[in-house]
Amino acid sequence: MPTEAFIYDALRSPRGRAAYPADLYEVKPIEILSQCLTALQRRCGREDLPTEIDDLVIGCNTPAGDQGYNIARAALLYAGWGRARGGLQINRFNTSGLEAINLAAARITAGYGETIIAGGLEVMSRVPTYLNSGPMMNDPATVINSHYIPQGVAADLVASTHGIRGEDLDAYALRSHAKAVAARDAGYFSPSMEIITDQNGLPILTEDSLPNADLTAELLAQLEPRFAEMGLAGFDEMALHRFPLVDHVDHLHTNGNTSPAADGCALCLLGNRAAGEKLGLNPRARIRAVAMSAVDATLLTGGVNASDLALKQAGLSKRDIDLWEFNESFAAPSIRFQQRLDIDDDRLNVLGGSIALGEPLGAVGGMMLCQILDELERRDLSLGSLTIDAGAGLAVCTIIERL
Amino acid sequence: MIHYRKDTDNIVTLILDMSGRSGNLLNHQIVAAFAPVIEHLKQEKAAGKLNGVIITSAKQDFLESGDLDYLYRLEEPARAFEAAQQLKKFLRDLEVPGVPVAAAINGDALGTGFELTLACHYRIALADSKLRMGHPEVKIGLIPSGGAIIRLMWQLGIERAYPLLLEGRRYSPQEAVKVGIIDDLAADREEMLARAKRWLLENHDVRRPWDDPDGSIPGGTAADPNLGHRIRLLTARLSAHTNDLYPAKRAIIDLLAEGSKLDFATAYRLDSRYYARVATNPVTKNMISTFWFDKQAVRGGVGRPRGYGKFRARKVGIIGAGQMGSGIAFLCLRNGLEVILKDVSQPIADRGKEFVGAKIDEYIERGTFQPEDREQLLARITTTNQSDHFRDCDIVVEAVFENKSVKTKVTREAEEHLDEYSVFATNTLSIPITELGKESMRPENYVGLHFFSPAEKTSVVEVVAGDATSDETVARAFDFAISIRKLPIVVKDSWGFFAARVLNTYILEGITMLREGYPAALIENMGRQAGMKSGPLTLADELGLKLVLRYEQQAAEHYGQRYLQHPAVPALELMRDELERSGKSKRVGFYDYEENNRARLWTGLEQHFPVTKEDYDRRRMKDRFLFAQVIEAGWCLQEGVINHTEAANLASVYGWGFPGYTGGVMRYIYSYGHQNFIDRCLELKERYGQRFTVPRYLRKLELSTLTPTT
Repeated sequence: MPTEAFIYDALRSPRGRAAYPADLYEVKPIEILSQCLTALQRRCGREDLPTEIDDLVIGCNTPAGDQGYNIARAALLYAGWGRARGGLQINRFNTSGLEAINLAAARITAGYGETIIAGGLEVMSRVPTYLNSGPMMNDPATVINSHYIPQGVAADLVASTHGIRGEDLDAYALRSHAKAVAARDAGYFSPSMEIITDQNGLPILTEDSLPNADLTAELLAQLEPRFAEMGLAGFDEMALHRFPLVDHVDHLHTNGNTSPAADGCALCLLGNRAAGEKLGLNPRARIRAVAMSAVDATLLTGGVNASDLALKQAGLSKRDIDLWEFNESFAAPSIRFQQRLDIDDDRLNVLGGSIALGEPLGAVGGMMLCQILDELERRDLSLGSLTIDAGAGLAVCTIIERL
Repeated sequence: MIHYRKDTDNIVTLILDMSGRSGNLLNHQIVAAFAPVIEHLKQEKAAGKLNGVIITSAKQDFLESGDLDYLYRLEEPARAFEAAQQLKKFLRDLEVPGVPVAAAINGDALGTGFELTLACHYRIALADSKLRMGHPEVKIGLIPSGGAIIRLMWQLGIERAYPLLLEGRRYSPQEAVKVGIIDDLAADREEMLARAKRWLLENHDVRRPWDDPDGSIPGGTAADPNLGHRIRLLTARLSAHTNDLYPAKRAIIDLLAEGSKLDFATAYRLDSRYYARVATNPVTKNMISTFWFDKQAVRGGVGRPRGYGKFRARKVGIIGAGQMGSGIAFLCLRNGLEVILKDVSQPIADRGKEFVGAKIDEYIERGTFQPEDREQLLARITTTNQSDHFRDCDIVVEAVFENKSVKTKVTREAEEHLDEYSVFATNTLSIPITELGKESMRPENYVGLHFFSPAEKTSVVEVVAGDATSDETVARAFDFAISIRKLPIVVKDSWGFFAARVLNTYILEGITMLREGYPAALIENMGRQAGMKSGPLTLADELGLKLVLRYEQQAAEHYGQRYLQHPAVPALELMRDELERSGKSKRVGFYDYEENNRARLWTGLEQHFPVTKEDYDRRRMKDRFLFAQVIEAGWCLQEGVINHTEAANLASVYGWGFPGYTGGVMRYIYSYGHQNFIDRCLELKERYGQRFTVPRYLRKLELSTLTPTT
């Protein structure tokens, strides 16, 4: 029997609105991460946590500027965890946070580490995605060879190719908000939630700010297409180069049925069994499987493959999964994911998803983990699956088993 | 070769004057001649006996563009790289040593000819709006070899340099100042040299921004997030417009993006590497062959009946003041001719003049014309509703709408006032010239002059000879077309003449695929990905299904017993008759045309043309589209509808949008490989039928006729 990776705790900051006026804009990204580290230490009740960990792995979609230059190592030093080992920053786009957890789990399972803190950080109000450019953005040959188009246009392409209508997208978005508002009001997010304060301890953000109780189908229907301009700029035609069976791309996604930019941080304490014994902690869940897949770079629908891979690895079937979390960057790929895996409404994103809560890119995986773990405990269920579609065809999946 | 003059202010004037040539050419000879001059200038500078250098030309052109005979045959990347590096080294020798150099541009400076001026520290040109300057290399599939891309990027910034290089426009001096490639203008040669001298005396220590340690690219580099994002958008637009089929255009954006992140010297060398790849690419050879050599051939008279003196029209009558008539009027005016523009009423004729005025304003705005040109241009146009104004016209062009009796009527009215030497030309796209000519008073002087729309932009016109049209009239129509700077394509009176007849086969092939069970979207996308401007179904709708069918009926009449019905015909008849969806003018065809003119494939198509194919050989679809046209063009050549492959190539790329990267409808066979082409036709014939039979003309084709014989 190989070593198993357990989750001993998971916590997150609230998801703050990143568009101006942004909720967490006034707080340095490193301060947000630092407050989460301190909170983890407090929750474990272990003053010596810094010296007990083997690494801190932080996923970040835009590792530049205020969250660049290995923010993981920087945060350990900033937080006064100077004697702690490690500090690693990774980037697999918006799957980065989940990938950090998967990477930590893999290392623990392989025996290369006993106790690892993993999670994600993204403060989009401070560090907009364009600050981290690269060949897929500014090298024309790569742009053309990859057929990598803006993800919003890709989401519109998914809707166009599968006959998903604008009202389907809006209905999906409306449900996401309704579930998130209900969960927030019922306090279902509180077990993992750690508020962000100023330097005096005065609260700055105490709960998720984006879910909107007053949203209606009428309001959603009034919103303008968000990606039509990008499509017209030439990306529609590039999509057709790759998918010539499509006649045209309908630009259906709006600000209402795509995830808004958000700020936040999530952390997860992972370890093998011995780590728990040493720290005097009981495991809350075990990692059953981790998987990554890639489909055509033009598309956004790798999640199903990632999920299939993870199920196969865990020796499970999709019917075994009690609760599903899927990152709602855009409504159409979310609808496709649900359709293709034939998931019931009451098992998928039961606390709402990123359309309602916002998507702090690199942190979203850790946030999803907090939510699904809390909810599995609250409902006394066992198996949860988390999937994130990323840009350039990538997708990541993790399956956990609550203990 | 280079005249050297030094004045008392220690200003040296170098006058380019290559012997044995009508113009100066930047080649090994002149580079070699420059070497000792530059050496001498350096010594003079060191001795404090030199304040600056003016380069100008003794010829009418400042400096001609590159040597295309040589370029066409340049096949080894190593040699192309070396040649580019040598030219670059020469330009650096001129640019770097600290001797201020001014270019006094007294004539055309295009392509390689312009490179030399870019390596100077100051550029002043004669304010003669007939002069042309800039970098049109991209039009023949090339990029500049002397580093113009890198210099322009450093001088103007990526966003201003890009359109200039990508569009390859030839700028008048006034436009050139506007886009930033010329510093100053002078009224005459004397003033130009004096101003150049003054600039040199006032600017001793000159360094180009890229040789200044504090210099930077205006607007930033591709590494800057905002500009990086713009580059991504520009790339998407380029990809959408070109379907990634044009290596030179891709090289331009690649070089700007990549080169901007590097220091000048490295980017300068990288430019030679891109150049070597582009210059040796088969697409470039196709494009040089057609867009340079074939063009020269037609300009030189290919297709024009021999033995007739040059016809110089001075006064042109135009009947019909609509878009087409006004467009032709504009063309005549801008090329120095006098115009009588007639329509049924004075106000309608005046509206045509207003259109011309608006066009002129547009060109003034751009800088092609100067504000003072406006009055002078419009002074040469007279509007009227009276035919007697045509009395002393050398040629009358009729551009009224497509209706035989209307055309006949206006022809008769005009001819009453014309003498037996004047030419009467009709602009029609579908009515046979022979038929219309029968109604003319002088059928031998009656000729078709088919302008494509928009008249002022499209580079070719079809000169259509009816049965009775005399050779002399054809020659005159040809000369007239040349005088308004169009490429005349001489064709016989066939259905759709040449261009529309061949294009129709593309449309029919697309509709045939629809019948075979291919999805409509795929048909349209593959048409465009083959390089055609629009999908075949889009074109069918635009032309109107009635006309598409009428051409095919005319083909049936022509071939009689030998005619084999095209498999697209039943589908067209179904659409036109039963479904009453006859095209864009009715707002329903293969597409639905919405209020905002947005077109969407008709959702009912699948009901009538069910999709049956599971597997699509996309390569074969593209071949079918292009082969259908090549074969039809072959029949036209065989039947004498058109007599020259050069003219066929030009008509195809300019007239109906056959993909330019192929070099045209005949050159295509050259790049596909003659035997490969014949083999593929055989395969297509077995699969799809007789229409892929290779005409004898194409089977026997000497490939040497498809490549420049220089």
